[in-house]
Amino acid sequence: MSQSQTTLKSVDCETVSKTFYDVVIVGAGVAGSIVAKQLSEQGKTVLILEAGTGKSLTLEGFQSHVETFYGAVDKNPNAPYPLNPNALSPTDGANGYFEEKGPLPLSGSYTRVLGGTTMHWEGKTIRMLPEDFELRTRYGHGLDWPISYKDIQPYYRKAEYEIGVSGNTEEQKGLGVTFMDGYVLPMLELPPSYLDQKVSEKIHGTTVEIEGETIKLDLSTFPQGRNSIPNPDYKKYNDGDDFIPQGVGSVEPVEYGERCQGNANCVPICPVQAKYDARKTLNRIAFPERVHILPQAVAYKVEVDPANGRVTAIHYKRYQDKNSPEHTLGIAKGTLFVLATNAVENAKLMLASELPSTSGLMGCHLMDHPFLLAWALMPEVTGTMRGPLVTSGISTFRKGAFRKKQSAFAVDIHNDGWGWSGTGATDVVRDAVDNKHKYGAELRQELISKISRQLLLAFMCELPADPSNRVTIDAQYKDQLGNYRPVIHFDVADYCKNTFAYARKLSQTIFQRLGAEDHTKYDKRDQDGNLDPAYFEYQGESYWFRGGNHFSGTHVMGTTKNNSVVDQNLRSWDHENLYLVGAGSMPSIGSSNTTLTLAALSFKSSEQMLRDLKS
Amino acid sequence: MNIQVWFRWLYAALWRIFSGGQPIMNLDQSEMKEYFLDFSVALTGFSKFNLLGTGQADLYYSTIEQNIGNELLQELLQTFHNLDLKAKSANDQSILDKGISFDILDSKKFGAIACNIIKLWYVATWYPIPQTGQDSNSQKPFIVSPQAYPEGLLWSAIGVNPPAAKAPGYGTWSEKPSVTLS
Ligand SMILES: Cc1cc2nc3c(=O)[nH]c(=O)nc-3n(C[C@H](O)[C@H](O)[C@H](O)COP(=O)(O)OP(=O)(O)OC[C@H]3O[C@@H](n4cnc5c(N)ncnc54)[C@H](O)[C@@H]3O)c2cc1C
Ligand code: SF4
Repeated sequence: MSQSQTTLKSVDCETVSKTFYDVVIVGAGVAGSIVAKQLSEQGKTVLILEAGTGKSLTLEGFQSHVETFYGAVDKNPNAPYPLNPNALSPTDGANGYFEEKGPLPLSGSYTRVLGGTTMHWEGKTIRMLPEDFELRTRYGHGLDWPISYKDIQPYYRKAEYEIGVSGNTEEQKGLGVTFMDGYVLPMLELPPSYLDQKVSEKIHGTTVEIEGETIKLDLSTFPQGRNSIPNPDYKKYNDGDDFIPQGVGSVEPVEYGERCQGNANCVPICPVQAKYDARKTLNRIAFPERVHILPQAVAYKVEVDPANGRVTAIHYKRYQDKNSPEHTLGIAKGTLFVLATNAVENAKLMLASELPSTSGLMGCHLMDHPFLLAWALMPEVTGTMRGPLVTSGISTFRKGAFRKKQSAFAVDIHNDGWGWSGTGATDVVRDAVDNKHKYGAELRQELISKISRQLLLAFMCELPADPSNRVTIDAQYKDQLGNYRPVIHFDVADYCKNTFAYARKLSQTIFQRLGAEDHTKYDKRDQDGNLDPAYFEYQGESYWFRGGNHFSGTHVMGTTKNNSVVDQNLRSWDHENLYLVGAGSMPSIGSSNTTLTLAALSFKSSEQMLRDLKS
Repeated sequence: MNIQVWFRWLYAALWRIFSGGQPIMNLDQSEMKEYFLDFSVALTGFSKFNLLGTGQADLYYSTIEQNIGNELLQELLQTFHNLDLKAKSANDQSILDKGISFDILDSKKFGAIACNIIKLWYVATWYPIPQTGQDSNSQKPFIVSPQAYPEGLLWSAIGVNPPAAKAPGYGTWSEKPSVTLS
């Protein structure tokens, strides 16, 4: 990316109303950005309607997000992004955007700003396993995909290039991922943290039983969308050239090709922009004049010709000031339409447009990865709170015959300590000072003892598609622009709770091996006495889980218009010029964070769009 | 009250009697700032050099003054300064240590303020104190300035960079930690 690079064109409503585009995309997240890039490269004209503000595309705007983050007392995932009442984002239940109908909450977050949720994602980019595509056939749970791992494999490679993935294919092969012969990822794996090394030293080679199977507790690194050192062997897959890491997502970058520097803040904002976010795709669009962006435009209706089901327009509300509900109405027209607002918002928008689909499955099959956490203090100082949030984990439970009885899972070793379980470094300071009256040298030692030895294990569990877990709408629940807020019905099946129970026991085994002091406790209420909505009891034990932010399944793909909402290219069965991209189309998510797969699907879908535009 | 707590209370009461009431002096601004820095060194366990290096001393000083008032701050700093003098003239550091514990941190009047000063230095955040007229229900904690956040001493105390600032460099997370437990 060079200084002379052109910015995408922000346009006004008048330009939009006068233009007929080849493709109208709603949402400038990773899914929408990939489609915009692929189609504009083939000469197509593109409009992107974006609900959030467009500030982050300039370096200045990006830095203002970093500063907002510095100044926020509660450093939650949306802390860098000022609250936008015209395009609210869920933030672990904090602003009541989701109307949670239970029985358990869909906690977690996404961000409605230009660049979407990748603006604060963590950046793990793990391929799904071949068997994950056949969950129903092989294990009797959830849904199968209409395509196989082999069908998506070439698109995984495109996604890995686009995102700029660092990782080790040999290690991944050992865990059951298949690659074409000789393939390597664009960049080498990120070095494991000191904490990883200390955990590995003690548990390496340990075996445990699960449903009669024996599984090894080995650590491996996670492929990630953050810059490390380009892999020289990748040249083959890059026209003989070295892979050039994308440095800065904002235009007019100060530095180029920045490697991850261990800022330890991947969520919610990477200040050196070593981590991928969708602005990197937007800023790399080779023909920016073909792509118009209209920020601060919230789509609220998909207009359809009742005669043939074809989409004729997208209706949007344009606001000037995020704090004022004042807005103007606008219409965007084109040949093809692409909804890329994420799984929850896509379904909401379709339901708000009274388009539940022939199958009636719009909004159903809502999935996520519930996380069970377990935390302990290591027997020695491990220097916790350094490096990317997670560098290694245990991925040996991603596959196995046990998946008939309980769900697959992957374990993260968190380099950032206990923050997620509710005791961040600041809380330790407050406890040491306010309750223990520590000061001076003793305080410093107390902090080293209570923070620098922290170990948090996060068990990311698969939750299969279940039609009763769903996004709906209700006229009672609207935002200040008069748009619907999502109404969520969500529960965690016993299939997954079995895994929580297993994971808790496994954490105890691991802590014992490590000689670590177990501090895990699932309290029903927080310190202020508020009930934890994610608390539950199962087989006589208490648990709570945390949301995985991998919302998916709400407009699932399948083989016919009766069993699904979209086909294998993410094209709506009912509306032949409408595509629903993003994780909403995934029938299962295995134990892989969803973004790499949804990015791969966006490439696949773009190819079909180009075919449609030719005919 | 268990015996240990009772003993501590008795000790503190005796200490207060023997150290005498603190005369309220009218300190000038520069004296106050000097005492404030000395007090901060004792509270934080960081050297004056480190504290000044954060560039936040003046901002913290004025934040405290604004939130608790000049008079109370003077009284606190004077209490500290008297203890400091006593310790120095007797060449006995324990006088200062005990004084900070009993006369300041355990005191109803100064305890919460001293704790707040520590937290200000460590996490750049001011927390409301109920007894100084600050209603902790209506008032919320705040970060005194975005620039202060990366200067929090917490991060150097545990040998890491402040998340999102002062990145230590590629791969540093694999190395042995720079802090140890003695
Ligand atoms: C804390 C956190 C950590 C995560 N970590 C990982 C990880 O490690 N690995 C991983 O694979 N995934 C991770 N994820 C998930 C990942 O961020 C998402 O899967 C991904 O960003 C989804 O991309 P998307 O383009 O489909 O949707 P989004 O990124 O949500 O983008 C949707 C876009 O549409 C816009 N929009 C929404 N509604 C409207 C409307 N009505 N009109 C116009 N525009 C609209 C939004 O403003 C936004 O720009 C994480 C998520 C979170 C929150
Ligand atoms: S560790 Fe730091 S530099 Fe690396 S991706 Fe995370 S925030 Fe960015």
